[in-house]
Amino acid sequence: MIHFRHVSYTYPNAARPALSDISLDLPEGELILVVGPSGAGKSTLLRCINGLAPHFSGGSLAGSIRVGNLDPVQAAPQVMSHHVGFVFQDPEAQFVMDRVEDEIAFALENAAIPPEEMRVRVEETLDLLDLTPLRDRALSTLSGGERQRVAIAAVLALRPEVLVLDEPTSQLDPKSAEDVLSALVRLNTDLGLTILVAEHRLERVLPYADKILYLPADGSSPLLDEPRAVLAQIDLAPPLVRLGKALGWEPLPLTIKEGLRHSRRRAGNGRAARPRQERGAERAAGARTPFLAARDVAAAYGGTEVLHGLSLDVYPGEIVALMGRNGSGKTTLLKCMVGLVRPVRGDIRMDGRSIAGRDVADICRQVAYLPQDPNSLLFAETVAEELAITLHNHGLMARRSGQALPDDTRELLHTLGMAQHAESYPRDLSAGERQRAALAAITVTRPRALLLDEPTRGLDYAAKRQLANLLKGWRAAGMAIMVVTHDVEMAAEIADRVALMSQGEVIAQGEPAQVLGASPLFAPQVAKLFPDSGWLTVEDALQTA
Amino acid sequence: MNPATQPAARGDASIHAGAWAMWLAAVVAALAVGRNPIYLALILAWIAATWVAAKYVAGALDAERAVPLSPLHFGLFVVSVSALFNGLMVHVGDAVLVRLPDALPLIGGPVTLEALLYGALNGLALTGLYAAFILVNQALPVREMVRLAPRAYYSIAVVVSIAAAFVPTTLRQYRQIREAQAVRGQRVQGLRSWLPLLLPLLTGGLERALQLAEAMTARGFAGASTPTHDVWTQVSLIAGIALAAAGLLLRLVWGMSALGLATALVGAALVAGAVWAAGRRHPQTVYRPAPWRMREWAVAGGAVLTAAFFVLPLPGLDRSSLFFYPYPSLTPPGFSLWIGMSTWGLLPPALAMVGPALR
Repeated sequence: MIHFRHVSYTYPNAARPALSDISLDLPEGELILVVGPSGAGKSTLLRCINGLAPHFSGGSLAGSIRVGNLDPVQAAPQVMSHHVGFVFQDPEAQFVMDRVEDEIAFALENAAIPPEEMRVRVEETLDLLDLTPLRDRALSTLSGGERQRVAIAAVLALRPEVLVLDEPTSQLDPKSAEDVLSALVRLNTDLGLTILVAEHRLERVLPYADKILYLPADGSSPLLDEPRAVLAQIDLAPPLVRLGKALGWEPLPLTIKEGLRHSRRRAGNGRAARPRQERGAERAAGARTPFLAARDVAAAYGGTEVLHGLSLDVYPGEIVALMGRNGSGKTTLLKCMVGLVRPVRGDIRMDGRSIAGRDVADICRQVAYLPQDPNSLLFAETVAEELAITLHNHGLMARRSGQALPDDTRELLHTLGMAQHAESYPRDLSAGERQRAALAAITVTRPRALLLDEPTRGLDYAAKRQLANLLKGWRAAGMAIMVVTHDVEMAAEIADRVALMSQGEVIAQGEPAQVLGASPLFAPQVAKLFPDSGWLTVEDALQTA
Repeated sequence: MNPATQPAARGDASIHAGAWAMWLAAVVAALAVGRNPIYLALILAWIAATWVAAKYVAGALDAERAVPLSPLHFGLFVVSVSALFNGLMVHVGDAVLVRLPDALPLIGGPVTLEALLYGALNGLALTGLYAAFILVNQALPVREMVRLAPRAYYSIAVVVSIAAAFVPTTLRQYRQIREAQAVRGQRVQGLRSWLPLLLPLLTGGLERALQLAEAMTARGFAGASTPTHDVWTQVSLIAGIALAAAGLLLRLVWGMSALGLATALVGAALVAGAVWAAGRRHPQTVYRPAPWRMREWAVAGGAVLTAAFFVLPLPGLDRSSLFFYPYPSLTPPGFSLWIGMSTWGLLPPALAMVGPALR
């Protein structure tokens, strides 16, 4: 169906090729998962399939590509749009019209499809993606998952034979991501559509994938095979597969159901499961005054009350994971804690003192806050300058005049693994590096607390691991950390305490094993494999082995 | 995000984009012709009625589409500024309120009630225009507006509509950036501190624009890459515009009405033909074209009626009351019942939107 022969591609003004000498044959009618570390060329490869590279991005392409009986380089994206549908990461950035139906019809109107046929196609597409109830809605009123489904519908209306998606769920919460993926699976099984999807969170797509295409970072030749065969050879893997590999389970489990077959056997002879080590106990011996304390906080956002009398503490030297559905008030709580949103009732105390009446800059010297989109923070020419600006904002450094950063600041960059990027332009960095640059910019004042809003969005496994280690290091140094996250595996790995929020209230909080292990929605894979064991991470399970 | 679902505007209170365009043209014509306060008040009242009907009765206004300034605020600002400006600059009129020292350049001299009033009337007319444009902009879905453009210029219209859609996103992004900079200890003071807000906004906006351009390319939107207008359509377009302008000049400046009218008509026909011919070469079809029903006839008819009474020299109609002029001293404005009644032609949109709600 799709054939690459010795394809090399170099972006304009780039020193190294993004793809070098790739040869591939992608079979028809299969759901192919495209994985690989950041910067391995996944996006570029996908863009070659519909001719966006080189037609949109410029640059030079060598070798030959065939999609069906077309050459995307010759045919150009306008022709290719009828054969290859392309869906992007951010659903919001791909809409032209403002209503669901109009958005779906846009490409058809543009291609001059006769009105009668257009009616039929739009109806079909609405049905295929379960969008019929939303057909008259304005796009701005839809949730992220619904928007991404509209984006898929909008390209499907042209009836392509191939659907290509570049990290379609990285901006979505787990429930929305699930919706989008199940729509993809249905398209693949019912229509036999060939689907290529790039995705960081393997655990989401793995159960449905027919093949995995792995692009290594070093530019060596890609792997394309059955999921089990590829997973056995690569490091990127969800907890289930990592555990399976470590314990030598054969065949390698890809779904919880397959994994349970192995784990039940194992639990049968090793019942005396040692409970996960009590990290909370060590902490309890230390300070018992919370660094940040919300007391009976009620807050309104845009006229409606979103927090209703909520109380929550964060102690020095612990990581609290704050979880819950979209719109349950998690972000508002974080904003209250740094003074961006002022509570209408109740009080927030920092180190025993109320923050009411203190300005945001003053609070943030002690409490660093990383917003969801680190891009909104970065604007300077270099990473080092970002740090200097924060220091200057707080009056800790004289007007910037090209002077060198203080030594302890250099050290911070080193801890963050950013020392070699100190002189890079922040927006040229990868998603993980950009986030660490933003972290550096907010923690350069040596704050005693750190609040992070959805820090794992769009990060690959390696970047997530780096972030986890960083947070653990800061915890050991006595920082009070709170992480808002949808990422169950991340929460399981780093949290000392988990608080679940719903409709502006904390509905449960406690040890991760109790809160996460018991919840069907928030249980990490290991907890699902070994129910009642109190294990959450692969390490927990392996320690007892 | 607005969690409430939008009331489905289509099918109950919607009005065809073409009819809205005619309504808008009638409002513009009526407001442009004269400054008679009575007619002005009537026209403003009907615009306000349409606004109320659209917003509160039919719920047909898209609240997500950002309005830079509400018409009320715009009115307060523009009316006062324009009254003040006219009062200070125009020193004609009998009712002198104060006398500024002559030594002051430009504004020195008497400030008269007449000048203030005339300025305020101008401000009111501007407010009416602004309100009508905002109203139509919010009442029409983006797609309908894009359809108003001739087919040959469809791609330009799409680009313009996207630019319009960028405004609310940019505002949202600005808020995010301001918060992000605030938590870095930034306090907005002086020009220098705007840089951290502006730079991420600009780079972010550019990035979004590129993403959208890429998405549209992937969906087969060719944009400006098909300049297929051939020489003949270009020439007839330019010639048509030139002829139309010459015709108007002949008619208005040199008083050759018959010849002028004929020339202008030929010019207009040429322009229409060129646009049609260019459109034929841009294949593009319409999904669920908006229907043209009774209410559209009513809106269009009303608009023609109003515009005709205000603009055309109809036989037997005394048009002198249109041209209210307060200098040198205020006189009560004239009033023609026919012209006053013709402003009712602006009401059908309001009626069309209230109608379904009463049923």
